[in-house]
Amino acid sequence: MKGSTLELSGIEVRRSRRTILNIDNLKIPSGQFVGLIGPNGAGKTTLLNVCCGLISPRRGFIKFNNTDLSLLMSWKKSNLRKQIGYIPQATEYNAELPFTLQEVAAMGRISVKPLLSRLNREDYERIDYWIDKLGLTSRRNQTFRSLSGGEQQKALIVRAMVQDPAILMLDEPGSNLDFNWKYQISSIIDRLYQQTHITVLMVSHETDLLPPCCNRIVLMHEGQILADDTAEKVFASDALERAYECRIETFNISGRKYIISKKQV
Amino acid sequence: MDSFFHLVIFAGAIAGASTGLLGVYIVGMRMPFIGITISHAAMAGTIFFCLLGFNPALGAITASIITSMSLAAIQPEKSRLDTNVGLAIVFSLMLGLTFLGIGLMQGSRSEVLGLLWGSILFVHKKTVVVITIMSLLLAVFTITFNKELKVLLFSRSIAAATGVHERFVYCLFLALCGIVLSVNLSIIGGLLIFALITNPAAAAYQICRGHKSVVIVSTSLGALSAVGGFLISFYSNLPTGACIVITSTVIFVLAVAFRWAIGKS
Repeated sequence: MKGSTLELSGIEVRRSRRTILNIDNLKIPSGQFVGLIGPNGAGKTTLLNVCCGLISPRRGFIKFNNTDLSLLMSWKKSNLRKQIGYIPQATEYNAELPFTLQEVAAMGRISVKPLLSRLNREDYERIDYWIDKLGLTSRRNQTFRSLSGGEQQKALIVRAMVQDPAILMLDEPGSNLDFNWKYQISSIIDRLYQQTHITVLMVSHETDLLPPCCNRIVLMHEGQILADDTAEKVFASDALERAYECRIETFNISGRKYIISKKQV
Repeated sequence: MDSFFHLVIFAGAIAGASTGLLGVYIVGMRMPFIGITISHAAMAGTIFFCLLGFNPALGAITASIITSMSLAAIQPEKSRLDTNVGLAIVFSLMLGLTFLGIGLMQGSRSEVLGLLWGSILFVHKKTVVVITIMSLLLAVFTITFNKELKVLLFSRSIAAATGVHERFVYCLFLALCGIVLSVNLSIIGGLLIFALITNPAAAAYQICRGHKSVVIVSTSLGALSAVGGFLISFYSNLPTGACIVITSTVIFVLAVAFRWAIGKS
């Protein structure tokens, strides 16, 4: 698999006469793992939604593999988005419907197949390959709604990976999970990145969820990029304290970055 | 039971099956109010085309398509208007237009008021042919776009972000929804159609595993509600519409009880 490049320039998103996202320039080269962090309301999810085309900015352009999305008709834009593997927050999908895990996983293949076509044997082999790879073989015919939160998150990763994405976008993949499942999900993402080297853009307000392979951190605050550098440099700078507006202590355990307020120490 | 009743039973089965099939998507997308909104739009269209001296059936279809397309224009993430709130606003407008039209009508209003309750006992062969053709068209549509409709049911965000042509399929679905509901109006009625859309699909979602079984069970339960309700009313000399609604509700309650009894996920 090969990663994709993503470039945002002069992006502005407004809501209720207020600018909620203002990005001068953000370039993500092919094969890079970028962690988007910041306090609540910093604009992380908005930025991710702009990148995957769910929100149209008021101004600015988004280039995907050097193609300016604003110049494309919606049909062609949709075709380009087939390269995006997207894992949304739990509120963005209907987990109550009785889809089986295999059906949810198959939705990834649906994205890449043209209209009026059907999934074939190779598609189902691909789906089964990823179900097996993430250890969900025994759950294949179970309903998605009957899976635990962690297993549902794994199923969504399977759905994204069967798509053979060039770029993977994850929005808070650890939300609502206990610490053990968070670690498992983070390790899976780490392993997938090591094996595929696709471009990854991951939003997480919990910094320890970012796997050790995350080689770049974009710290956001009030809709703007406050710091954009390697994890080591961002965590060593005072930008974190400015973003969270409190004194911060940082820890590094096995390549994972933990931050806590100094009041907690 | 003479041959006329065979026609009534056939019409009921087709109307029930088509609304049961529509219900899978309408209930799955959490917008059951769409049935009553479109049926009232169809009534308003019928009345105003009658007043203007045009073909009332054409009025029903035109108004239904316009209404469903205006619903398709609601994009919650951009307009900050929930689809169900949009439906309620359009419904109140259609109700207002219906009563305005009834007020402007001269002479007997029984035919128009009959649309509210439907009149399966007075169904014409021509109507049955139209309903059958439209139901077949709906079935062909759901088979052709089955894979895209599944992603739409699961998550419109995932569909949009990953390049599924969700707006195209969603608009086609709503247009077809408008046509199918408007042609069924004369035999099921604007008020009863709500029950036949919601109850069979809700029952199927209770007891099924996998999308295919939901489609088959909901379509069958829709037909069973309509035919069963008619037969109960025929042998007990009770109002047909009321019997259909109560039958579909009893089926839903039985489905809940069945799920509870077997502890199905």
